[in-house]
Amino acid sequence: MAPTPGSSRKRTTSKQRKTISKRKTSSTFTASDVMRPVLALRDSMRKQRKAPTTLSDINIQGVLKEVLELGGLFVRRRIESALADVARSILDGRGFRYVVPTRSAGNQLYVEELDRIVLKDKTSVRAFANTSTVRKTAITTRVMGLVWELCKKRIHTTKRDLYYTDVKLFRTQGESDEVLNDVACMLGCTRTSLSVVASEKGIVIGRVQFREAGDLIDCTRMGVGGKAIPPYIEKITEIQSDADFILLVEKDAAFMRLAEDRFYNKYPCIIITAKGQPDVATRLLLKKLKDTLKIPILGLVDSDPYGLKILSVYMSGSKNMSYDSANLTTPDIKWLGVRPSDLNKYGIPDQCRLAMTEHDIKTGKELLEEDFIKKNEAWYKELELMVKNKEKAEIQALSNFGFQYLTEEYLPRKLAQGDWI
Amino acid sequence: MPPSKRAAPAPAPAPANSSSNPKSKRPRTAAASTSLPAPATLKFKSPAEFFAENKNIAGFDNPGKSLYTTIRELVENALDAAESIHNLPDVSLHIQRIPPHRFRSMLGMDAAPHRVDHSLYKRPPIPEQTTTKNSNLNNNINNPDSHSRPRHTANHVFRVTVQDNGCGMAHDDVPNMMARVLAGTKYCVRQARGKFGLGSKMALIWAKMSTGLPLCVTTSASPSAPITHCVLDIDITNNRPTVISHTKSPNPKTWRGSKVSVTIQGNWTTYRSKILAYMRQMAVITPYAQFHLIFQSNVDAADSKDLEAIFSRRTDHMPPPAREVKHHPSSVNQLILKQLLGLVKPSTTLVHFLSTQLDSIPRSLAVRLINELGPDFTSHMTVSQLQLNHIRQIDALLHAARFDKPNGSCLSPAGEYNLRLGITKELKPTLVATHAEPADVFEGHPFIVEAGVALGGSGMKPGINVYRFANRIPLLFEAGNDVVTKTARDSIRWNNYKISPTTDRIGVICSIVSTKIPFKGTGKEYIGDDSDVIKASVKRAITQCCLQLKTKLVRRAAQKDAAERKKTITKYAPGVAKALVDLFSQVDNADASTRDVVDKVQSGEITKETLLNKLLEHVQQIDKEQAIEYASATGRDHKKTEMVYLAPRAGQEAYLNLWQQRSTKGKHDDKASVSSTVRLSLLKALQVSV
Repeated sequence: MAPTPGSSRKRTTSKQRKTISKRKTSSTFTASDVMRPVLALRDSMRKQRKAPTTLSDINIQGVLKEVLELGGLFVRRRIESALADVARSILDGRGFRYVVPTRSAGNQLYVEELDRIVLKDKTSVRAFANTSTVRKTAITTRVMGLVWELCKKRIHTTKRDLYYTDVKLFRTQGESDEVLNDVACMLGCTRTSLSVVASEKGIVIGRVQFREAGDLIDCTRMGVGGKAIPPYIEKITEIQSDADFILLVEKDAAFMRLAEDRFYNKYPCIIITAKGQPDVATRLLLKKLKDTLKIPILGLVDSDPYGLKILSVYMSGSKNMSYDSANLTTPDIKWLGVRPSDLNKYGIPDQCRLAMTEHDIKTGKELLEEDFIKKNEAWYKELELMVKNKEKAEIQALSNFGFQYLTEEYLPRKLAQGDWI
Repeated sequence: MPPSKRAAPAPAPAPANSSSNPKSKRPRTAAASTSLPAPATLKFKSPAEFFAENKNIAGFDNPGKSLYTTIRELVENALDAAESIHNLPDVSLHIQRIPPHRFRSMLGMDAAPHRVDHSLYKRPPIPEQTTTKNSNLNNNINNPDSHSRPRHTANHVFRVTVQDNGCGMAHDDVPNMMARVLAGTKYCVRQARGKFGLGSKMALIWAKMSTGLPLCVTTSASPSAPITHCVLDIDITNNRPTVISHTKSPNPKTWRGSKVSVTIQGNWTTYRSKILAYMRQMAVITPYAQFHLIFQSNVDAADSKDLEAIFSRRTDHMPPPAREVKHHPSSVNQLILKQLLGLVKPSTTLVHFLSTQLDSIPRSLAVRLINELGPDFTSHMTVSQLQLNHIRQIDALLHAARFDKPNGSCLSPAGEYNLRLGITKELKPTLVATHAEPADVFEGHPFIVEAGVALGGSGMKPGINVYRFANRIPLLFEAGNDVVTKTARDSIRWNNYKISPTTDRIGVICSIVSTKIPFKGTGKEYIGDDSDVIKASVKRAITQCCLQLKTKLVRRAAQKDAAERKKTITKYAPGVAKALVDLFSQVDNADASTRDVVDKVQSGEITKETLLNKLLEHVQQIDKEQAIEYASATGRDHKKTEMVYLAPRAGQEAYLNLWQQRSTKGKHDDKASVSSTVRLSLLKALQVSV
């Protein structure tokens, strides 16, 4: 059913001919053959495991202290203390001001020992008696009041809900979201500690069981839709799994294919997607799974600069939330595919490849300058190849060989060959 | 010979059809012999014929555009003539619609055309006076077909008369200057409005094509010379003037200047706005000139749309005239080299030739160049010894070698001062900034870019309005591809300068002068954006203007801010007070560190009101401090400066000669009031047209 990859190209290179012949035999792979390299990777990972380094272990000057996961009472105390300062300052006739750690791109630092970005210690002062900052200070005060109330009542709310409590003041959800991050930074706690969560975005399916607020969840019995990743990570307990690896998928469509084909039954794994850029809940779950199960994570993303960016957010954190990178990042994700070198290796036909736009190329070149790419030579080479060929391809490009090519041919062969970097 | 656009009898401009030139013949005959059908007879074409057939090259695409171009050419000639003798230009433009019956009588046919076979005609006869509103209405009611016809197809006959106070023309030169295509005094390296000696001749050719009526010239080359009257036609086949009458009359009023009048077909309705825009922009770039525009529709009705506009002189400071320069070595080609070699004596040495006939080559450099050329060349060889290949070698070396850049001192830019005056005078912006870039070089020709950016003002649409000038001529067509438009639209980050490119009314005025403007296309209507040097210069000039504006805008915004800051800040105070009191009133078993505040709130010692009042006091105090700081930083209030009128330094009599002749004596006594009423009528006319 699948057209020969060479047929649409004018020349069939010897390399491609080799891949065709290989493909004929690939279906003979047994599950144990396929899993052998993965298991080897898992074992070597477990062997060389060392205690994770924290920011306090390495001596770095000029960075912000790591934020902590705090209980409701502690958050309340911190808010009370901050606002008491405000009240005193007002009563002294000095107005008031907040000193907020800057979260802009200029205040980020990639720390190689930690393999993630952390926030530097630059701060900005937001005074009430200043036209350009008065709004932010008012919003900050209000948000702290709301968070305090949530902590007192021990309930959670979504970011959207928070925004609707005072639409007139916040104007857009973006503004209340931003201030929420600022408040977390100021108080030195994680955003989840503030009892404000994002709505569910990520899904998980596969060989894992856990209890969510006491209820048993079995992710092998979630139909084909998967289990929505709950935003309250602290309510997930008793994780049990016989999976040998975690497959991180960028796109919903690829996830559906894997779920429907019950990929995890043949090759024991957990499949996770955040449908694009990962939210906090997905990143927290991934970290928790990795820390508990100690199994390798393989990434399946589009062969474009954004696919790499998504991997980088999982691994070294987003700039917006770098203050909490310690809790949100999961280092050492292997890039399984779709890699720029796969395009020729698997003979992806021309009509499935897209020309990179100016913007893509610019993003690609900027990525080449990033420390986390430079650090990994194999990744750097792949990205260089992408920018050089100016071609990108989505995971769906593999559907050109048949809808199930991904689950029946591509992934098994990649796994069997240990073809990750 | 004063260098004017009016063409002089060219000493030896070999016409292209000259049969003495064997070169032009050869390729043609070769082409004829290869073509299979019966050998075509070899024909020659005069330049006049060529331009008559390709009149769109010179801007005569259709009757409307032809009217515009005719006016344009005549006005530019008038300006050149006046500037050549350092007279402040005084140009009057008179456009008269000639009603069909008058036109027929001018041609000597008195009866109205009588239609017998009506099926022969495309359209029913157009009734007279279609331009009046009432008849339009009637037409619409009676005949829906003719709904828009009178507006768009109403080509009429117009007499265009332009009078100036310029150098005038010598009696004997008039026929050749006015009626021989491609004859002129401006075939040299010099910044000039016109170059090819084509303008007035094209107007005549168009007159001949559309109405068949000749061109009338009245001129006097000096106050003491008699006045020449000349009626001219052109012999297109031979590119030769046909003199119908050529007489002299006494000049008792010691008048100097010219008056040219042509009768052409045109379309005022569709091109009126263009013509007015042209005159207005010309007034922007030439604030030292006085323009007087009269349009007479010769329709006897109250709403005849007659128009009179005076674009008054605002300064008597004229830019220094452009100087002729020698070719820069990097701008020559083999053809120019050969021409230049032909102009010097055959005994001239090559060293002498290079160092005297080309710009930027001192004698020492000429010697070095000749040494570089190799053994075929010696420093004492004469130009007569040069073979064709020698010239090729010289040409190649001149393009490869490094020379000093030609400097811009030969150019005559409008001047930042004049540009600013012109902009304030005509566009009346609320804010204006101007900047002149230093001279730069493109393909061996120096150029200077001057720009102005105006905000607000009359007749500006929201967004970017571009006013382009090349060698001090307004460019009105093909704006989309022009370097200035593209730069203003794409390369300037307006928002960085506190200007909104979509809602603010921005006028971008850009004047480029050069010894050779790199026009694109045939129409000389726009400058392409492929020249990086020019593009960069334009961008720098506009950016500089924007920077000047930014400081002003920021200051204004700060003023506005200061006025509103109290309001903005106090708006948020109640919310803050409420949030704090609400929170602390609910706290139970507080920490030691916050106990003081919690207790005070819960005991009612601190209420919303106390917090609010304290906050407002603080804001008030900060406000005062900032007001003092602001006042000490910026000084007194800038708004109080007044606009002053700049009185002309020269006595009025010096340049009002034309006016006195034209108007009755009582009129010029209160000229100022007249011009202001005229302005009003122009504005009204513009509003009606919109």
